[in-house]
Amino acid sequence: MKTIIAAVLILTGSAFTFITAQPWAIADSYNIAFSSDDAGGIFKDFKGNIAFDEQNPATAKFDVTVGTASINTGNGLQNKHAKSDEWFDVAKYPTIHFVSQKVAKTATSYQVTGDLEIHGVKKTTTIPFTFKRTATGGVFTGNFTVNRNDFNLGKPGGDVSEQIKIDLSVPVTK
Amino acid sequence: MFKKALVLGVVSGVLAGIAGLLYARLYFKINEADFSKVASTIRILSSSLFGGVLAAIGYTAFLKLLKGKGEIVFNLLFTIVSFASLLLPIGFKLPLTIETPELFPGMVIPMHFFPALGWYTLKPLFMPPTPQ
Repeated sequence: MKTIIAAVLILTGSAFTFITAQPWAIADSYNIAFSSDDAGGIFKDFKGNIAFDEQNPATAKFDVTVGTASINTGNGLQNKHAKSDEWFDVAKYPTIHFVSQKVAKTATSYQVTGDLEIHGVKKTTTIPFTFKRTATGGVFTGNFTVNRNDFNLGKPGGDVSEQIKIDLSVPVTK
Repeated sequence: MFKKALVLGVVSGVLAGIAGLLYARLYFKINEADFSKVASTIRILSSSLFGGVLAAIGYTAFLKLLKGKGEIVFNLLFTIVSFASLLLPIGFKLPLTIETPELFPGMVIPMHFFPALGWYTLKPLFMPPTPQ
């Protein structure tokens, strides 16, 4: 009887075994860069949780944040302006947050769809990316474009172009 | 006239450059902000020397063109150009690897006045005023 109960428990338990993706630690040499015809720079503060399995991308999970106060355009005045309430308003919105909902493999790479929150506005965004294995772990590389007006960044029109290109390079280790 | 002005320009330029280097070193000691990759020794010295030589050319030209009023017009322009040149470091875009770009203007702005300062200070030595 005890054997039967144990067997039933093991069988039931195995039916609920969750396939979890490989968790990765973000290495220091990441690069989160933005560019447009008029302005460009990087964010120096990036952290979060990444779980990704090349063989099973559907189980992947990205939950990352960028500290908006870490913006660097290479010019002190421009940095101050970018942090002001006209742009990122870092006092009120200290982070940019991305949480994935779905990760899928494409013909040549992968794509992650999730909620991107900037300046208090949440928008579903799809980011194509690649993952390359390295000796110490791997590198996630991706780029996409955002329309700053979707997130109420800056005044519509104005000197800075509305389409902002984002380039991501995130080395990870196990 | 041009020879004297040129010697004055070169000497004041070199001394302005040395003052700039000393100031850069002091600034680094105070703020620990290293801009040597952008404002290198060669750049500080050469731009100060360039300022001095340009002043010599301008001084000679204004004196020749405007005679009696040449000096005051030159002095005014030299000062205005020194102020106007501040737009360069204020608008300058540093490499993104530099952590504190907001400290850069504070280091470079005073240096923009050193050539004029050197010129006005040393001019009586090279071109003593004619007694009335």
